[in-house]
Amino acid sequence: MTAKKRDIVIAGYSETAIDFKTGRSAFDLGGEALAKLLAATGISKDVIDGLSVTTPLSECPNPFFAVYMTEALGLTPTWLNYGGSGGCSATGGVARAASAIRDGHCEVVVVLSADAPSTAWRANYGAYRSEFQDPPGVQGPPATFGLLMSRYNHQFGIKSEALGKIAITQREHALHNENAYAKFKTPITMADYEKSRVIADPLRLLDCVMFCDGANAFLVTTEEKARSLGITKMAFPTAYAEVTNFNGDKPLSEITETGFSAIAPKIFKQAGLTAKDICMFQPYDDFTIAVMMKFEDFGFCKRGQGSDFTLDTDLSHRGTLPLNTGGGQISAGQPGLASGGLNLAEAVRQLFGEGGGRQVANPKNALVTGIGVIPYARNWGTSAAMILEA
Amino acid sequence: MADEKAGRPVPKPSVYVDTKPFWDGAKAGKLVLQYCKDTGQFQHYPRPVSIFTGSRNLEWREVTGKGTIYACTVIRVPGPGLDGRLPLSVATVQLDEGVRILGNILNKDADAVRIGQRVEVTWDRLSDDLQYPAFNVV
Repeated sequence: MTAKKRDIVIAGYSETAIDFKTGRSAFDLGGEALAKLLAATGISKDVIDGLSVTTPLSECPNPFFAVYMTEALGLTPTWLNYGGSGGCSATGGVARAASAIRDGHCEVVVVLSADAPSTAWRANYGAYRSEFQDPPGVQGPPATFGLLMSRYNHQFGIKSEALGKIAITQREHALHNENAYAKFKTPITMADYEKSRVIADPLRLLDCVMFCDGANAFLVTTEEKARSLGITKMAFPTAYAEVTNFNGDKPLSEITETGFSAIAPKIFKQAGLTAKDICMFQPYDDFTIAVMMKFEDFGFCKRGQGSDFTLDTDLSHRGTLPLNTGGGQISAGQPGLASGGLNLAEAVRQLFGEGGGRQVANPKNALVTGIGVIPYARNWGTSAAMILEA
Repeated sequence: MADEKAGRPVPKPSVYVDTKPFWDGAKAGKLVLQYCKDTGQFQHYPRPVSIFTGSRNLEWREVTGKGTIYACTVIRVPGPGLDGRLPLSVATVQLDEGVRILGNILNKDADAVRIGQRVEVTWDRLSDDLQYPAFNVV
């Protein structure tokens, strides 16, 4: 475990609008995110000497996507990272960039995620799935989450109005998000939630994320370098931890026990903070149950008490624990495997005081998470968490 | 029934690791799973090494096919390979040998399947020479 450091900063962020079937490519969306990042920070592209990109569903057959992206963007990085942990690749990209900067491989890194899966879905997960996961009909994450929810419900009980509250709160937040997918910018009620179609019992349509197209980018450098570039707004990533294939050699462990329970104590210790100190929570949201389980794993409440905590807590941007204040992926749209970056961008935006109509008061810190990959009959593959401080 | 399964892909064996014993067993109506000889534990789906030790000291053993429903859902929306199968009862079954496997529950109304019910393996015919393990509530 590393000690708390405040040397590295996220010195800028950018996002494209989230849209469905844009007809655009990850390269084009990535270019837009870069141009917006340069405009937001006022830096020249020539100072960028590091690039981290995320494997996109729309371009994954190209093993050299990361290199192609450097050509598309006219960048000449001395450090290049190709993140393959889906929704953990944005926070993970920032953490890896911090290490590379500390090792002297580069000084100014762009962590870029762009994807257009609603335009071109080219992923094939292959491996064991055609023999062992697809035949019983478990092709997609919803079936696996239906199974996960059934187990959680069996052990602890799920109050459906708690999941509904998460969906409604995030939808309310998306109304203030100019980048959110336009079709999601309509408020929803508990009646809408309860009437929404069951996808895989007890999972409902309004519990689920939808794949869209979009991109986001972050500028990562040292505080000193940022100031020398004339940048004044910055957020400090003071703690990060990830784990992949948690309980992977314990096949009879409870599937409701997730990697977050292992990394939460690490990041709180690293940042010298506790759950009570967290000003806002920007968790990776593929399904509402994952948000609720993270309330428990990060100690906002005890294990199994997620429903009551959700119902008893003001999760609005004015509340005691502001939740996914940009609407999260569920209500802004998931930009494919540019995901995770959406939740991270909202955290940085809030810490910069740029939240507009959804600005959190006194934003001293934010807790951001990522989830990557949905494996066979368990919960999820990679869990990542980052604490950012003003 | 032929119509119902028209949209269901027939898996090709051994695309990932050698899974021939699983498929040969299935053809004979036997559920045959991978077993780690060093630790005495089963693992499923099949892996290139023991997930417990990292060694390749693995073999294939028949299991009883008896177990308990650990988690269950009902898939209600169309998708690839789901034509004619909805609503589809899917369960994570914990076999008595201490290993979990995904499977459809065939003999019970999907809404009546519950965690904790005892099940035993049955066989779902996918093509003339290929059958796939599924489960019946007992």
